[in-house]
Amino acid sequence: MSDMIKCPSCAENNLPDQEFCQYCQTRLQPLTDPLDGADAPIKPGQAPTKKNTAELEPILPQWLRDARDSARKDDQQATQQNLQQPSQLKPASSAKDLLAGLQSQAGDDEEDDMPDWLASITGVNSKPIKSQTESFAVRWVELGGKDDFAKDESDGSSSDLAGLKSSEPQPDENNEVRDWFRNLGNPEQAQQPEQSDSTDSDLPDWLRVTGSQNEKSKSADSADHSESGVGEPPAGIISEEAESPSDSPKPNQDKSFEWLKSTVPATSSREEIPDWLSNDAAVPPAFTAAEDESAELKDAQSNGISDRLETVALQSPSSLTAVEDEPSGGISDRLKAVEFQSPIHTESEEKTIEPAQDADTLGWLDTFQAVSAYQPENSLAQVDFTPLDFAEDFQASDNMDGLFTDIPDGLLSTLEAPPSSLPTADTNSEAIAPDDQPSWVESMRPVDSDISELSSNFPADQTVESSGVLAGLSGVLPSGLGFAQMSRPKAYSTKLQVSDEQLAQAALLEQILAAETAPVPIASFSVLRTSRSLRWFLAFIVFVMITIPLFMRTQMFSLPVGVPMDVNGALQVAQAIPESAPVLVAFDYEPARVGEMEAAAAPMFDQMILLRHPHLTFISTNETGAILVERFISGPLAVHNYQSGIQYLNLGYLPGGQMGIRAFAQNPVVTSPFDMSLSSAWDSIPLEGISSLSQFAALIVVTDDAEAARTWIEQTESARGAIPFVVISSAQAAPMIQPYYESQQISGLVSGLYGGALFEQYNAGRPGSARAYWDAYSLGMLLAMALVLVGGLWNLALGLRERVAAGETQ
Amino acid sequence: MVFSSDLVTGLLSFLFTILIFSYLIGDNPLFRIAVYIFVGVSSGYLAALTWWQVIVPRLIYPLVYGSVLEKAFTAIPLLGAVLILMKISPRLAGLARIAMAFLVGAGAAVIIAGALSGTLLPQIAATINAFDLSAASARNISVVEVVFNGAFILAGTVFTLIYFHFGASPKADGSIRRLRLIEISASVGRIFIGITLGTIFAGVYAAALTALIERISALINFIGNY
Amino acid sequence: MRVLTAVIAIAAGSLILGGYFLPALADVQTLLLNWAIILAGVAVLVGISNLISVHTDKISRREKGSAYSALLVIGLVATLSFGMILRPHHSTMKIVMNGIIIPAEASLMGVLTISLLYAAIRLLRRRADLMGIIFLSTAALLLFGSATMPLGDIPLIGTLLRPWVTQILALGGARGILIGVALGTLTTGLRVLFGADRPYGGN
Repeated sequence: MSDMIKCPSCAENNLPDQEFCQYCQTRLQPLTDPLDGADAPIKPGQAPTKKNTAELEPILPQWLRDARDSARKDDQQATQQNLQQPSQLKPASSAKDLLAGLQSQAGDDEEDDMPDWLASITGVNSKPIKSQTESFAVRWVELGGKDDFAKDESDGSSSDLAGLKSSEPQPDENNEVRDWFRNLGNPEQAQQPEQSDSTDSDLPDWLRVTGSQNEKSKSADSADHSESGVGEPPAGIISEEAESPSDSPKPNQDKSFEWLKSTVPATSSREEIPDWLSNDAAVPPAFTAAEDESAELKDAQSNGISDRLETVALQSPSSLTAVEDEPSGGISDRLKAVEFQSPIHTESEEKTIEPAQDADTLGWLDTFQAVSAYQPENSLAQVDFTPLDFAEDFQASDNMDGLFTDIPDGLLSTLEAPPSSLPTADTNSEAIAPDDQPSWVESMRPVDSDISELSSNFPADQTVESSGVLAGLSGVLPSGLGFAQMSRPKAYSTKLQVSDEQLAQAALLEQILAAETAPVPIASFSVLRTSRSLRWFLAFIVFVMITIPLFMRTQMFSLPVGVPMDVNGALQVAQAIPESAPVLVAFDYEPARVGEMEAAAAPMFDQMILLRHPHLTFISTNETGAILVERFISGPLAVHNYQSGIQYLNLGYLPGGQMGIRAFAQNPVVTSPFDMSLSSAWDSIPLEGISSLSQFAALIVVTDDAEAARTWIEQTESARGAIPFVVISSAQAAPMIQPYYESQQISGLVSGLYGGALFEQYNAGRPGSARAYWDAYSLGMLLAMALVLVGGLWNLALGLRERVAAGETQ
Repeated sequence: MVFSSDLVTGLLSFLFTILIFSYLIGDNPLFRIAVYIFVGVSSGYLAALTWWQVIVPRLIYPLVYGSVLEKAFTAIPLLGAVLILMKISPRLAGLARIAMAFLVGAGAAVIIAGALSGTLLPQIAATINAFDLSAASARNISVVEVVFNGAFILAGTVFTLIYFHFGASPKADGSIRRLRLIEISASVGRIFIGITLGTIFAGVYAAALTALIERISALINFIGNY
Repeated sequence: MRVLTAVIAIAAGSLILGGYFLPALADVQTLLLNWAIILAGVAVLVGISNLISVHTDKISRREKGSAYSALLVIGLVATLSFGMILRPHHSTMKIVMNGIIIPAEASLMGVLTISLLYAAIRLLRRRADLMGIIFLSTAALLLFGSATMPLGDIPLIGTLLRPWVTQILALGGARGILIGVALGTLTTGLRVLFGADRPYGGN
């Protein structure tokens, strides 16, 4: 398994001899074959051999070849222009720039494939190159490979590489960094070397956000540069500090160069390398592709770094200070306005700079220039030049650190070069001659040991550099899995890339939509067929059980004993009313319950009439109540021989429901002026001297409806005063009337045949309907109880069985 | 052959009782005949009763025999009565809204005052007074019994009221439910409501059984008498 | 018309409501309520006339069951005629009441006995939940406790358990229902008085 090649795209293992990943079809082997002699390591100081890479062009993609052809033309034109203006364009130090070989790529690639900073380096209007960071920038680009950004035409990385198309700085209004570079390209402004990689084209998107802010800071910077070359801090201080960069930063000194002073004591530990470059969300997709696969990329730091990078876009780059000693949150403040710096530069600066104050340095560039110009080699040599963070993903060891720990001489010389020393634009055909390579570039070439280590780590890494200063070198730059991961643009397929969670949610949505459109059977109970036989059985047994005692007139069952309090209250009212006192009786029950109500009410009226001979005044809010009164008087109370207009008066029907009761309670004389026979009621004997409800001795409501009882209770609440109020109700209404007795709004309650039977026992042994019905009633109740219990349990079992069967069926 | 009123009454009663009881066998024309006649007779009796108990004494008498002031005051309900009678005509039914609005407004006021002063406040006070020890001692009820019964009454009242609280809020899963505490209280309230409805059912059955007993007794008496 | 009906309803309601609390409005309340009584009686007549028209239409269209409608109309007209001529408290009307209305209604109520029993027996077959079990258990307990034995009340159930259930347990639930009904009534009445609800057709 150790020989397996891990796909940089999908991380799947593939056989070593496979050229493409069998899972995602990503190229596993280098695109070009190793050149002759490429395997031989290059010794330090050895001049590189010019290689003709034109033979490899046929295998390039068509788009790349087209881009290369167009770039060659542009480069030729640019070269001619440079030759015509040698004083302005040709750098004094070297005719071949460090990244001269990239020019061919620049010419070959599409417009967006070249970062601006790179175009500035190789272009006509290139800027002075900044020390060691640019070397990393170059290296970084080359590590990316030729087609790293080829597919990133639509993402942020394409714009990053826009400068590769032409050596001329593009007058892109959005690319403020290039304007800044153009300003630097002006000898008057760029009085000191400047890092060539500090372009936003090389920066990820997060740095290109600096556009707006850059406009402001750029003008300030330009002004500062033009005046003294120093930003906010005095130039003298900067120079002074720059001369002694290893000194610890002075607290009271300007923040803009404190970070510069801190560059010397910076540690070189690899862990201190900020990985914000590769871990930030705004990093172009080419990098995020690698980062997505490296989960160990310090998430905790990335958050803070993201913030930092956001602030970077808004602040001046002078705040670029050492970040490794600061928490990420503090770093973010410090890295404001890094807009002019490339990520590589920022990285190196962060590594080398001690903690500093917040950025307020519009003249950061001046200080940087000062530091760069006077940076002692030994101080720079202490800087930990580590590979980019994306290399950490696959390079667990620090082997690569040694490659960059030494500052090449050429870098310093580049820094010391006058601003006018612009690199010459070279094409691929004009490959850099080995003897033209600067010494520091040669010193950057991999040492044997390093390469061997790399080779041991990545045996399959035999990529031959096809262009640039490293042209012809094989395996110099680790293009292992990590690099490939890092540099290879993320494959953007036309397929929608969704996560598992999104898929699950989409599936849920589909289910919901399907459920909405699909016909849903209405859940309904299965029709429980009426059992006619059961109905007949019940009718038969009930009729038999009731008819027998009624027919035989049995009195086997004893009447209930133990008078409850509500019945006792009614009993006390019946016995306590004065002799011949007027009693108002409301007859509000339906003819259907005439048997029950007469059986319930008769005992109380019988006893009351027998004991007190009250004058009864009947009124009814029920249509049939008036006629039921006559039936009651002529039926159960017939023995008392009460005469209408003398012992009792029937006021008849009171319409209006609650309104009628309220009106009657408020003013009974006006509301019911006539009796049943339309005679004047209030002049009659039963109502003599009565003009209001409270003048009655008692109020008795005989009703089968709890609503009627409630209405009488409610509407007479204030009118009846303290007169006793008894309700004789049907058994069905008693449960809802009981609370009114409990609240003492009524004085007594007699309910149903049960209450009548109770009351009847206190009638001096006078027989009544309750006694006549009681045996049949008791049998009927017991029969019902038995049938409900037995039948209920039986049907419960049947129902459970049916439900279980239905469940099993389903 | 002379038919006494009692005989006619008993005969009609027997006949209609049998016709109605025939429903126990199943729905049949005899049952329908009895029901339709019963509805017609009841409506006719109601109409006659309304005429003689409402229209004549409250509307016609004041207009005929009343004073000027009484006539004036009676003219307004007369106008309202005419408007209500407009409901018979579909074209003029809209005019009845005026009288109906008066009826509805008057009814609303009556039920508001009645519910407030007759049920709401007294019942709430009674729930509180269920723990009144002095009132209990006056009724010769022990303290333990008062507290025990009062607690049940209070719990039944509160939980039943909570059961009728249907306010709910949407949950995270999209379902709309009541609060957990409300749900638990409503479950307890459901038990009390079940007991109350069971009590009412027993009362309805007792009333129906008494009616059945009265009818069978009437049948037996009619058969026995004639 | 909408405004007029709303004004009438709100004004009448306000005056009548004020009569409960202000003695000065007591007579106004009585007057308005007596008007309402008259209108309610007239409304009954309107309802009966509607019943007549519906069934006469059925007769005229000779729909199915029009014979029953004819019986209804005949019974109505005959009773109304006798009632208008003889008055409701006449002995003839008592025969109608005691011979037709009371027996018919009481018999329907008696038939309900069988229907209730039938429904109670089959309740748990359809709904075997806690509510149904509690409902039927309470009903069976009270049916048993309401009866007596030849030697007296059923011990414990008839003398102790039944009163406790009806006067304590059922009382709590009934009181809760009453308070809930009162609250609902209050709300409905207030909505009418505020004009929010216009059941009289004012939209």
